[in-house]
Amino acid sequence: MTEASPNVLVVDDEVQIRRFLRSGFELDGYSVSEAESGRDAIRAATLRPTDLIILDLALPDVDGSQVLERIRSWSNVPIIILSVRSSEMEKVRLFEMGADDYVTKPFGMAELLARSKVVLRRKARATTGDSVIRIGRLKIDLAARNVFVGDERLTLTPKEYRLLQILAQYPGNVVTHQELLKEIWGLPHINDTHYLRIVVRKLRQKIESDPNHPTILLTELGVGYRLAPPNEPGDSSAH
Amino acid sequence: MKQQPPHTVETIAPMPRLRAVSENAAQWLRGAGDAGRLTGVVGALVLVIAVTVALAAIKTALVDVPPIVITYLIPVLIAAIRWGFVPALTATIGGAACAAFFFYKPVHTFYVEDPARRMGLLIFALVAIVAAHLAGRMRRESEIVRKREKEISDLYAFSRRLAGGHSTADIFDAIQKHLSTVVGRKVALFEPSGPANRPAPIGESDVPRDIRDAVSAVVAGKADAAAGMTVTDDQGDIWLVHAVSSKTPDLGVVAIDLGSQTPESEKEIRARIEAILHDAAVTIEQIGLAHAITEVRMRAESDRFRDALIGSVSHELRTPLASILGAATVLCDAPAIAAEARLAALANVVREESERLNNEIQNLLDATRISGEALQPKLEWAELSDVVNAAVEHRPNRFIAHSIEVDLPPELPLIHVDAVLIEKALGQILANSAKYSPPGSTIRIRGWRDDRVVAIAVSDEGAGLSAEDSTHLGERFFRGRRHINTTPGSGLGFWIANAFIAANGGAIDAASAGEGKGTTVTIRLPIPANVDQLESIASD
Repeated sequence: MTEASPNVLVVDDEVQIRRFLRSGFELDGYSVSEAESGRDAIRAATLRPTDLIILDLALPDVDGSQVLERIRSWSNVPIIILSVRSSEMEKVRLFEMGADDYVTKPFGMAELLARSKVVLRRKARATTGDSVIRIGRLKIDLAARNVFVGDERLTLTPKEYRLLQILAQYPGNVVTHQELLKEIWGLPHINDTHYLRIVVRKLRQKIESDPNHPTILLTELGVGYRLAPPNEPGDSSAH
Repeated sequence: MKQQPPHTVETIAPMPRLRAVSENAAQWLRGAGDAGRLTGVVGALVLVIAVTVALAAIKTALVDVPPIVITYLIPVLIAAIRWGFVPALTATIGGAACAAFFFYKPVHTFYVEDPARRMGLLIFALVAIVAAHLAGRMRRESEIVRKREKEISDLYAFSRRLAGGHSTADIFDAIQKHLSTVVGRKVALFEPSGPANRPAPIGESDVPRDIRDAVSAVVAGKADAAAGMTVTDDQGDIWLVHAVSSKTPDLGVVAIDLGSQTPESEKEIRARIEAILHDAAVTIEQIGLAHAITEVRMRAESDRFRDALIGSVSHELRTPLASILGAATVLCDAPAIAAEARLAALANVVREESERLNNEIQNLLDATRISGEALQPKLEWAELSDVVNAAVEHRPNRFIAHSIEVDLPPELPLIHVDAVLIEKALGQILANSAKYSPPGSTIRIRGWRDDRVVAIAVSDEGAGLSAEDSTHLGERFFRGRRHINTTPGSGLGFWIANAFIAANGGAIDAASAGEGKGTTVTIRLPIPANVDQLESIASD
């Protein structure tokens, strides 16, 4: 952790879930506050400085997606959704509403902590405004519009670069197929997933060391794509 | 009748003696039954004698007897109404004869002296014959009405019995009773269930051998079941042999003793029998259909109930499980526990077992989705390597001890599938491979293109399949006999994989060189015709 004890707000109506989430986060150095309903959650998020929200979808008063919508109307605090339903359609909907990640219940604490770390780092970078992103041996310079693998500068087609650029704006975040298709090919091609697949295949051949086992440009099956979490600042694992 | 032996049923029609005289007009009209006619004639004569005696008695008591001939109209009319034309004629002749012999001068001769009385007798005869004729006709008509009424009420009773029949046995009973009533003679019914070449005989002696041969011919389909056939037995009686249903002899065959018949009466009775059999056949078919429908509906209902139960139970189980698994993972990583090896091992047990429980619940939920027909694949273009990677990545922790080798050629075409379903199917296959092969062994995933198909094969070095395993593998809840007590599982995995692949238009098969020689499960997915074209379009 680069920041001292980030504040996490845990929203779930099940007291047992809140209890283990509290222990898990506290053991990892977070300070935890809890809410057991959508209304409580919104109030808590406005009252206290919050760095991360863990939001369960099934709340007694309102649906979790409404809470997400309300909070997103005035804050870009990272929000990780918890749900017992594992539906790709729902994931897509929530990602497009601004959720940062989606974890299906039941889950292990380690997985949630790892994802929390990624979304917190993303927020930290967004505030510093760093335009260079390093993922493994890949370096993307968004300001200069250059992409390197190691020291070698890559020649990308405009669509390949656009794809990488969109994903690099929120590295680690899932961008849905529809969003990518709309951004790169335009609204009429929103369902032409094969366009996307073929560009991804070509891009992987350029940036991945084994395109069949990608480690940088990752697939969220049935949902979209994301870049692997960027290297830690100061980590110069470029070689 | 339900207690009767299953193969055949047979009845000899009841032949009520009393009604045979008074009611069975059909026989009288057809000229059958000499006993009936004789009774009429004798009755008419007895009436005439009675009138004569009465007139004689009146004549002795009184001086003169007024209208002698008119009095003789009484027996004529009674005979006409009661027995018909011939007895009435007998009464007319007898009456005229008695009047001439006993009452008209010269007495004790049939000669009548007085011309007026002669004229009177002539008129009497004329009136009597006309009256007899009219009365006879009236009687005949009322007989016909009565007969119709009886037919209708019989038919009504028959149709009620048919409609109320819940089994084929009930229907056969009804057919037989009704046919017996209509024909008034012996009816034998051969049930369908008996062996075709040897339709079960009923009371060996009752149906002549010729008839049974004819039944065999109809059952065997040699004779036209729809047309039926008539056979004359050695006693000269005509038998009609006819299948119950004109479409098939499978619903049974009847043999009906028609007695001796004129061609016209035979034709008429055959038409009626055929109508009865037609109704019966329709009813039998409906009963069969209704049974089948009920059975299907009941099975669907119980399936639906079971799935709803599994669905709600699974969801209820998941909520506490999320807490257990979450808490266990917190414990596993907590420094205090990690420092204490024995406690760490226990915490790991809780974590692993709740993961396994979660997988089983997921399987049950997937299974209810499949049988609830809620499986609607969301087809999109997908890269096979993405699907395989996701399946390998999502495999449960406890299978980490196996090494997995993936060999996919880079030039595989895109597939048009619900990638999540394919991943789950692959996950099930991987889980099975890991479960039934020793830790540390290798599981190989290989992909290739085979003309219009993309194939993915998962091979392990494990327990393999016995011949019995191979036949039952696709069944829901099937578990191999060798593993049932040693390896935990629900027997849903392969069934789910199969359903998910099938929903994507693919096929799955499992092959094994034998027990202990490993298993290879191959998934084949169709390649859409336009895939090569698509790839060239997008590659600008």
